[in-house]
Amino acid sequence: MAKKPNPAYQAEALAINARDVHFDWTDVPTEYIPGHPYATHFWNVMHLVLPEGERAMADVLGRALPLIDDPRLQEELQGFIGQEETHASSHESFRIHLEENGFDIPKIMKLMEFLMDQVFGDHGLKGRAGEAWFHERLGLYAAAEHFTATVGEWLLDNEEFDRIGVDPMMLDLLRWHGAEEMEHRNVAYDVYQYVDGSYARRVRTALLASGGLLALWLYTSSWMYANDPTVTRHRWTWPLEFVKDTRKGLMPGIKFIFREIPQYLRPDFHPSQMGPIDKAVRYLAVSPAARA
Amino acid sequence: MTATAPSLKLRALATGARAYSAVFAASAAAPYLSRPTPVRRTGFDLELTVAAISTEVEDVVSFELRSPDGSDLPAWVPGAHLDVLLPSGAQRQYSLCGDPRDLACYRIAVRRIEGGGGGSLAMHREVAEGDPITVRGPRNAFTFIDVESYLFVAGGIGITPILPMVREAARRGARWRMVYVGRSLATMPFVEELQALDGGELELRPDDQFGQPDPWELLGRAEPGAAIYVCGPPQLIDAARALQPTLNPTGSLHSERFSAPPVVGGHTFDVHLARTGMTVHVAADESALAAIRREVPGVRYSCQQGFCGSCKHAVVEGAVEHRDQKLRPAERADSMLICVSRAAGDHLTLDL
Repeated sequence: MAKKPNPAYQAEALAINARDVHFDWTDVPTEYIPGHPYATHFWNVMHLVLPEGERAMADVLGRALPLIDDPRLQEELQGFIGQEETHASSHESFRIHLEENGFDIPKIMKLMEFLMDQVFGDHGLKGRAGEAWFHERLGLYAAAEHFTATVGEWLLDNEEFDRIGVDPMMLDLLRWHGAEEMEHRNVAYDVYQYVDGSYARRVRTALLASGGLLALWLYTSSWMYANDPTVTRHRWTWPLEFVKDTRKGLMPGIKFIFREIPQYLRPDFHPSQMGPIDKAVRYLAVSPAARA
Repeated sequence: MTATAPSLKLRALATGARAYSAVFAASAAAPYLSRPTPVRRTGFDLELTVAAISTEVEDVVSFELRSPDGSDLPAWVPGAHLDVLLPSGAQRQYSLCGDPRDLACYRIAVRRIEGGGGGSLAMHREVAEGDPITVRGPRNAFTFIDVESYLFVAGGIGITPILPMVREAARRGARWRMVYVGRSLATMPFVEELQALDGGELELRPDDQFGQPDPWELLGRAEPGAAIYVCGPPQLIDAARALQPTLNPTGSLHSERFSAPPVVGGHTFDVHLARTGMTVHVAADESALAAIRREVPGVRYSCQQGFCGSCKHAVVEGAVEHRDQKLRPAERADSMLICVSRAAGDHLTLDL
């Protein structure tokens, strides 16, 4: 294969730095989207699943650090890891709040541990196979980060949350997280491209990551809904609630995934093509948690 | 492996994942199923030439930097800065204060500060026209966003990132107001360039005519919902940050973010890295992280301020003076954040 010369950067870098955020959940209701228990559990997935997922990702991407010679990507990755760590610990703090309010969090955590260890773990692969599996996982995380960036933008654009009075502390957590996802949207992708960059692997991992995220999200939110001590409705009504709450604009819905995949699969795709991140910059300037 | 056996569905999922990795990672066919085509970019470090040096006001000079072959430089948005490598090897950050539409040239401006860290003196005394200069960037930690209304507040040399913002706001036809404070008009650079911009309102407010500025009054000039960009002395920025949420709740305040504050009240110690078998010496005014990075360049860290937790490492031996705000008491018993925490005594052994 003909080797292409290394392309030069055409535009400035965005400084990516973790922010020292603080959240106090003391008076925050567990149904923080009032009157919408399913939508609440849909977003609860971020508190339940993401902390472990983000830490695992920060670990896998951290292993790429010594491989990266480009000082720009290296500092972007350093910033990315710090942002992911603060996301994980902030969501975790709400998870503790949920547990204190009667949710069976340890049960769902066992599931997460199993997934991280047995499904996304290193499978005991060594040598060339271990290397290839490491690349495969970088691909999975790059694809997952594409979704978190687009969901982040969705969270910043959403006006329904303000209209129906979602708890402001929670809304700030979701939007601060979403804004930082937009801010660092290129990093996991560029690390994947730097270390591997195979197009076949990008396609494969994108499909797998989308399907996996969707399944994990629906499974976890429906489980939480079914086991919610405050929900008196029938526990299997969640698909109905999913459709209702999506129509109401409280969740992005499934169409979303199918709209994003083709974009990510374009051979010349780069996250910088996803438009300006002004709304993220602006939100981070006003976020109560980030500003404090 | 665990006390409670995972369900059949979960075990099937794990088996599926292993089958997947067996095919796409471990099999003989795996290398053919995904051929790596890495994309590795270059050009964050730039070797430029000092094309021109001009005196702007009594102790401020500007430097025009171009690529030696005249090719275009990476594009930037107002608010961006460069890391400039000084002849001494020290590094300083200077905001780009030229025109972002002109990709042939970067401009930075430096005020001479007697008794500072010496960076500005070196720039003034040791850099001459025609010299090569090594820079890294541009990087932006003060991004200019597109809104309808702006208030710009610049204090002294803090004008450098603000000037291209005002220029861009004027070009876009946005509503803008600018308040420029400084000791005296004679010390305030780029006044003429500001006066040449269209639309908007420019207010020059030298202290020797108007007295010390009142941050409340300055911020009060913003329209409701405006983006307020402030650059100047830290007291001005802190005051603006504290006032803005009550004064203009729908507006946003933007100031440049700095990282890694200096080490205060540290003493020297040695860190032994158990896995690498090396011992590094940590000076009183540097972090353990900075010292360890000299030997282990790929070591994990991020915020460098003790809150994100990325640089947590296990302590094998030695007492720790914890200076972070992150670790729980249980974690402190056997680990530390190497970006801020230090040895309580004269040595530590880390699992690194």
